[in-house]
Amino acid sequence: MTAFLYYGVIFSFFFCLLALLGLTLRTFSFGNKKVRAAFRGDWKKGVVYAFGAGMMPWEKESVRQHLVTYFSGFIYHFGIFAGIFYLFLSLWAFSVPILIFKLIQILLLSGLVCGLGLLIKRSVYSSMRHISCPDDFVANILVDGFVFLALLDILFVGIQAYFWGMAIILFLYIPVGKIRHCLFFFYSRTLFGVFFGRRGVYPKERKTSRV
Amino acid sequence: MPEKSLNKDELLEKIDSLSSQDHEKILLTFKHSLTSEYAAFLNTCAHCGLCADSCHYYLTDKDPKSSPAYKLKQISKVFNSSFDLVGKRFPALVGAEKLSNKLIKEWVDTLFGRCSLCGRCTINCTMGINIPYLIRAARGALASVGIVPLGLQSTVNTAVNKGNNMGILKEDWLETVEWLEEELQQDVQNPEAKLPLDKLGARILYTINPREAMFFPLSITAAGKVFYAAKESWTFSSENYDVTNYGLYNGDDEAAGLLSSRLIDTMHALDCRELILAECGHGYNSNRWEAPEWLNRNYGNEVKSILQLIAGYIRDDRIKLDPSKNSEVVTLHDPCNLVRLGGLVEEQRFILRHCVDNFVEMTPNREKNYCCGGGGGQLSKTRFSERRIQAGRLKAEQIKATGAKIVATPCHNCIDQLMELNKHYKLDIEIKTVTEIVADALIISA
Ligand code: SF4
Ligand code: SF4
Repeated sequence: MTAFLYYGVIFSFFFCLLALLGLTLRTFSFGNKKVRAAFRGDWKKGVVYAFGAGMMPWEKESVRQHLVTYFSGFIYHFGIFAGIFYLFLSLWAFSVPILIFKLIQILLLSGLVCGLGLLIKRSVYSSMRHISCPDDFVANILVDGFVFLALLDILFVGIQAYFWGMAIILFLYIPVGKIRHCLFFFYSRTLFGVFFGRRGVYPKERKTSRV
Repeated sequence: MPEKSLNKDELLEKIDSLSSQDHEKILLTFKHSLTSEYAAFLNTCAHCGLCADSCHYYLTDKDPKSSPAYKLKQISKVFNSSFDLVGKRFPALVGAEKLSNKLIKEWVDTLFGRCSLCGRCTINCTMGINIPYLIRAARGALASVGIVPLGLQSTVNTAVNKGNNMGILKEDWLETVEWLEEELQQDVQNPEAKLPLDKLGARILYTINPREAMFFPLSITAAGKVFYAAKESWTFSSENYDVTNYGLYNGDDEAAGLLSSRLIDTMHALDCRELILAECGHGYNSNRWEAPEWLNRNYGNEVKSILQLIAGYIRDDRIKLDPSKNSEVVTLHDPCNLVRLGGLVEEQRFILRHCVDNFVEMTPNREKNYCCGGGGGQLSKTRFSERRIQAGRLKAEQIKATGAKIVATPCHNCIDQLMELNKHYKLDIEIKTVTEIVADALIISA
């Protein structure tokens, strides 16, 4: 059973990577438009801004206005990454210093709390329900379940099979629904940086220009 | 007569009569406009809802349908059902929905009726999704079967067929230039002062918003006065002078490209070196940034806003200004297409600081500024005019908070909307273009 789950996790992980690759190819199959307009700013600086200052509360009004949601999202994602890290540790029985284990536990617990909080927010607010579809709930529940089982697996014995089983389901689901944004986030923010960078909007330079 | 009472049913009836072939055409046009960028955006939204409070529509009506994510979702429904494997197999799971007349009505209501394509949601989106460009692509798909609010489509048609969006006849334009030239000569007390037409080899070709010729002729003489003071070599075209481009708003790339090509081609035909765009937000975005893509031609640096030109005059000491001639408190409204989407952020500020005694900023300002509500072609869509005025409430509040008596804005569309907001929200302000303020501050040497 353990071997079956072990190979199941590895297989589903590679399936996930392949499916995401397929999605990427599909996305690029729509083709690109050549950018013709002469640049006014530097797109590279725009990209740096997009992944740096452009995501910070002092720059972004939506972050300032929704600090709790924003940081919940952040912590939630750290919890997920901690869960995936722990999954690979458990697959290959790597040992890590106790401090790292403690840190993983903290990240998993806080990630779980934040994930559940976001799920409640989505269920309670009508404005959130209007922009949601079943996938939003399924994705959240699957991820919360994965993080929860990772935490239990650290704390108790006899949980590993459930944890690995959950990991298989999660990896199979990632390319299906909204979790695919784990891939597209990077592309979209790069595009954001290129767009505003070449137009000279970001990063902000408080000076006039001759072009 | 308002479009709403006259045409609301007409548009809805038109939608009801759409056939499956029309649906196919909409999908095909939509697919054609999709690039990998757009496809990526449509795969990215995490439905986090953080963009809602950045949209002036949502902030003023709190209707979930006004949230940018909701508008995006309407487009994703069709994208997922037509172009995504999961959406095709498990539509209920990911909220995919086949294009139908019901959904087209929802598109019209949300994409035409609740969005001014201002881009404020993009800079606030967790992922950086370019929502207004996706909305424009969807509008263009609807335009392919003639589903566009009547006022907007007729503005595009008039510009395409008559050469300018107000349908001004050539003889009327020539007559207007003639009497404005006399005004200018009186103003600068020089009978040699000119508003040149079709002058071959002039350094710059200057364009206007046709509303200036019809309703705001002072804007034209103001520009003429500034050019006169700077001893600029410039000209108008007797044929192609319309800086506006409502093809940006109905999403019709072909019409948009045609309108922009007329200006750049006229610049070449008259052997001018620069195309100078009058103060017009969407005219700047269209002609400077979008037209090279629509036309598949490399250019851009020779297309400039008059703000860049005037800022250059000040830097190079080509004009003399006396700020005390504008002693009232002046604030500035940033047109979205010029600033957030166009990148012209500091020029207007630099100019105003040289022209007025007391300049105050709105909060927020620059690329974070709120849309006045007049963009996206909203001024031409009378069926949504109540929403437009409501969505402008934030702008009215911003203006009130500054205590300014004069609002400068480098866009005639914004001026129209601000004039309506002025009346509706009793702001008691005067609204001017930046060039008008410069003209008031000019010191003309004898
Ligand atoms: S582009 Fe502007 S009006 Fe349209 S959804 Fe975004 S914030 Fe709202
Ligand atoms: S902020 Fe961006 S990712 Fe979040 S709901 Fe709005 S459009 Fe989607």
